[in-house]
Amino acid sequence: MNSSTANPLIELRSVVKVYNSTADSVTALNGIDLQIFPGEFLVVTGKSGSGKTTLVNMVTGLDRSTSGEIWVDSEPLHKFGSERAAKLRGRTMGVVFQSFELLPTLTVLQNVMLPMDFAGRASRSEQRKRAMNLLEQVDIADHAKKLPTALSGGQQQRLSIARAMANNPAILVADEPTGSLDSATANAVVDIFKKLAQEGKTIFLVTHDKDIAKRGSRMITLSDGQIVG
Amino acid sequence: MFRARWYKVFNDLFGNKTRTLLIVLSMSVGLFALGIILSARTILSEGLAESFAAITPSSGTVRTIELFDEDFIQSIRSMKDVQEADARRNISARVQTASGEWKNITIFVVADYDDIRVNKVASQSGPWPPPEREVLIERAALSVIEAQVGDVVLVKFPNDVERKIRIAGTAYDPAQLPAQIDGTPYGYITFDTLNWFGESYGFNELHVLATHPEDKAWAQQVVNRVKDKAEKSGYTIPLSMTAEPGQLPMNDVLQGILLLMGMLGILSLFLSIFLVVNTVSALLTQQQRQIGVMKAVGGSTLQILGMYLVMVLAYGVLALLIAIPFGVVGARGLSNALAGFFNFDIYSMDLPPQTFLIQIAIGLVLPVLASLVPFLSSLRISAAEAMSSYSIGRGRFGKNWIDQLLSGANIWFMRNLSIRSILLSVRNTFRNKGRLTLTLITLTLGSATFISVFNVRDSLSHTVDDMIKWFNCDIMLTFDRTYLADKVEFSALTVPGVTQTDVWIQLPTRLIRSDDSESGMIYMFAPTVHPESLIVSPTIAEGRWLMPDDDNAVVVPSAFLQDEPELHLGGDIVLKLDGKEHTFKIVGTYVGMAILPLVYTNYEYITQITNRIGEADALMVKMERHDPAYVDAATRALEDHFEQIGVRVSMVSTINNERTEAEASFDAIVALLLVMAILLALVGGLGLMGTMSINVLERTREIGVLRAIGAPNRGVASVFILEGIVIGLMSWAMGAVLAIPISQGLNQALGQAVMGVPLSYSYSIQGLWTWLVVVILLSVLASFIPARNASRLTVREVLAYE
Repeated sequence: MNSSTANPLIELRSVVKVYNSTADSVTALNGIDLQIFPGEFLVVTGKSGSGKTTLVNMVTGLDRSTSGEIWVDSEPLHKFGSERAAKLRGRTMGVVFQSFELLPTLTVLQNVMLPMDFAGRASRSEQRKRAMNLLEQVDIADHAKKLPTALSGGQQQRLSIARAMANNPAILVADEPTGSLDSATANAVVDIFKKLAQEGKTIFLVTHDKDIAKRGSRMITLSDGQIVG
Repeated sequence: MFRARWYKVFNDLFGNKTRTLLIVLSMSVGLFALGIILSARTILSEGLAESFAAITPSSGTVRTIELFDEDFIQSIRSMKDVQEADARRNISARVQTASGEWKNITIFVVADYDDIRVNKVASQSGPWPPPEREVLIERAALSVIEAQVGDVVLVKFPNDVERKIRIAGTAYDPAQLPAQIDGTPYGYITFDTLNWFGESYGFNELHVLATHPEDKAWAQQVVNRVKDKAEKSGYTIPLSMTAEPGQLPMNDVLQGILLLMGMLGILSLFLSIFLVVNTVSALLTQQQRQIGVMKAVGGSTLQILGMYLVMVLAYGVLALLIAIPFGVVGARGLSNALAGFFNFDIYSMDLPPQTFLIQIAIGLVLPVLASLVPFLSSLRISAAEAMSSYSIGRGRFGKNWIDQLLSGANIWFMRNLSIRSILLSVRNTFRNKGRLTLTLITLTLGSATFISVFNVRDSLSHTVDDMIKWFNCDIMLTFDRTYLADKVEFSALTVPGVTQTDVWIQLPTRLIRSDDSESGMIYMFAPTVHPESLIVSPTIAEGRWLMPDDDNAVVVPSAFLQDEPELHLGGDIVLKLDGKEHTFKIVGTYVGMAILPLVYTNYEYITQITNRIGEADALMVKMERHDPAYVDAATRALEDHFEQIGVRVSMVSTINNERTEAEASFDAIVALLLVMAILLALVGGLGLMGTMSINVLERTREIGVLRAIGAPNRGVASVFILEGIVIGLMSWAMGAVLAIPISQGLNQALGQAVMGVPLSYSYSIQGLWTWLVVVILLSVLASFIPARNASRLTVREVLAYE
């Protein structure tokens, strides 16, 4: 995809995020300007405390910025309350977390079906069929009836990716998806992202692992809440 | 096939059975207590009224000195405004108990036991009607005369005829005061048996039912008309009284019980509400991370809220499934037990739907409302914060002065405290202050109610003590007529052990109201008023006690002024004595019940206006020892002595018996209070267990961290047990303080309902310590079980726990 001819799918303009506590205030993001285009595999890297996770929270609408604008799929996410943000998220993006964040009382299959249920897009049988397809794509279809705690870390992250893909979003946001995995499993998980990017998904992946960072189509580096490279 | 979100609800409900059980139990105990109190209150108030109505209670009673026959009864029945009338013979006799003691007994003689039309008496056991030369005893009276069915007892009639008579069975006569309350047993015989005792045929007690018995003023007019007719027919009327419509004999006590139940019901309601709110709030706190995850994958507020509302509704339904049936069974048991004190059978145990509707409303609506509060507050934080905050760092310890204080940094003895688990427990307790507040409110309310129940019980006992201490004597003897006071006093002093005597005169009197209507019978007691008098001042509610130079001063029971609105302190009261009206001045009111009102006036004045100067019909005796056995032996010796010198004793009572009877009138209330104490201990205890167990479950991950850094299982458990004890002790201390106003309120209300003045306040140290022991035991149990379960998991399992 040629970035110069397409509109950005995600655009951040002068985004600032300040965390206030009783002791002091911390500026986690300090004037971030960023454009992400359809089909890009953007990797955000940086040291611990550089603001990577905060950036993920801003892009996904899981948290609100202190100032600045965030546009996702031409919609002003920065103006949205949590309710509209959740709907936009359900429609346009899937999120993958470092600690997987699976619901422990739902089976593998039900975890994937849950976002579809919330979005209310398909019938229950179609949800089930699509969820099984996604589990097959990430090679854990055999575990569909198990609870997440019965899976290995790699399998849980695959499940997390399948869940993120449930509503066929244009964007996949992943916060340190390989942080809890060994290197072989981590590579396999990145392969899945790579394949999804080739299929046209826009990937926004945060990592501190330089080898993984190199596998994206573009890389930016954060330091002290600013893009430094 | 359900939607995926409902699988989560279902799995959350039934996947974690321990948590579900704790939540359901916590909710159901509160609902159960509420159900018992509401249902028992309804059964008692409606069931007793229904049972009382079934005996066709009379509107009033007219007693005659001369005997009358069936023709007179017929003439009363034919009166225009008399719906029904019936008559009995009422004889005050004496009965000898198994221990040889003589007791008063009222013998009723009924002409046709199968056609009692008013104040119906029914067979309870044995033959019906009573066989010739045998007696039926009212069922509540057997214990008073210390006899069983089949026993032969010696009965002495006023004509001095003594007969050994067999108790053939028992009767049920709910129109009478229960025998254990006024100490007088009741017996039922036929006219043939009466003849055997040497008495002639005839009636002396007329029971009248007015055409509109529900209208007291009307009923009073009708009873007065009957009385007038009797007087015109030549009968002397020593007593006529009109009953309160539909009110059973111990209505004041019943009202006290109903009031107490109502107030405890309200307290249980609050307790139940806080238990539900606390439980649901704990559940939602536990689920905060998952709520964040669901938001992250696109769940809207309404969708997630819907899931949790269904979940708490399911908890509510499960809690109601336990609480309602157990509540009904408990309420019926409690109602039957309390009805037993009133000597009533409750025919109808039906419960109105309102009782269940209130429980259902609280069981279903309240959890939903309760879940809205924490849910809406969780909406204020972002999904990112919701997910990240579920970890070891939850709670905001360290930010305010309490935390700074508890951190120990500024307190020398805490800096040097070697028992780390104590410090950790205390700090943990204060970490989540919102939860702590909610838990403490619930437990404090439970503690305060439990201690208050004990306080009311103590106050009742204290009140009885206050009532009894008016009589500075051991034995009271009433004679069949007046005798020379000097004669009986000097004679009594010759009996060994008697140290002091005093006399009084007692007369039946009636209040004459401004509309010329008359009250029921009132006992006028005229004691001597001087420094050596054996009657000391009763507890004065308002005004003052009698003085030696008082003439027409009277002191009346405080409840009497409530029943007779025309009367007031400092005002006049017209009393009819020996057929003549006399005006007295009310100079004081004393703490007392109005079941059988006693008014006190000066001996000297009464003997003057009734031409009985120097006479007395009652003697008070003080003994050198006061133990019951000694006093009982002295009582027999005094009776024998007076019989020998020709002074006929008609009634004897000892202060010990008076105390027992006074306490018996509160038995029902005390029993209710004990049941309530047990119930509240159960509710508070299970609530405490539930809340604490949920608190520990919620911190299973923290247990993992403690173990991961090397804490032994015992060390981990001790942190949580100590934390439980800290919370338990705090709730105990706050409950002990809150119990003061609550018990004062209960004392005020109960005292007003039963006696017209608040009970004598007493704080129960026994209740305070009992609850302390219960709280500590439950705190340990509540924290130990989940902490032990958590410590049995591997560190990896615990850290993965959600």
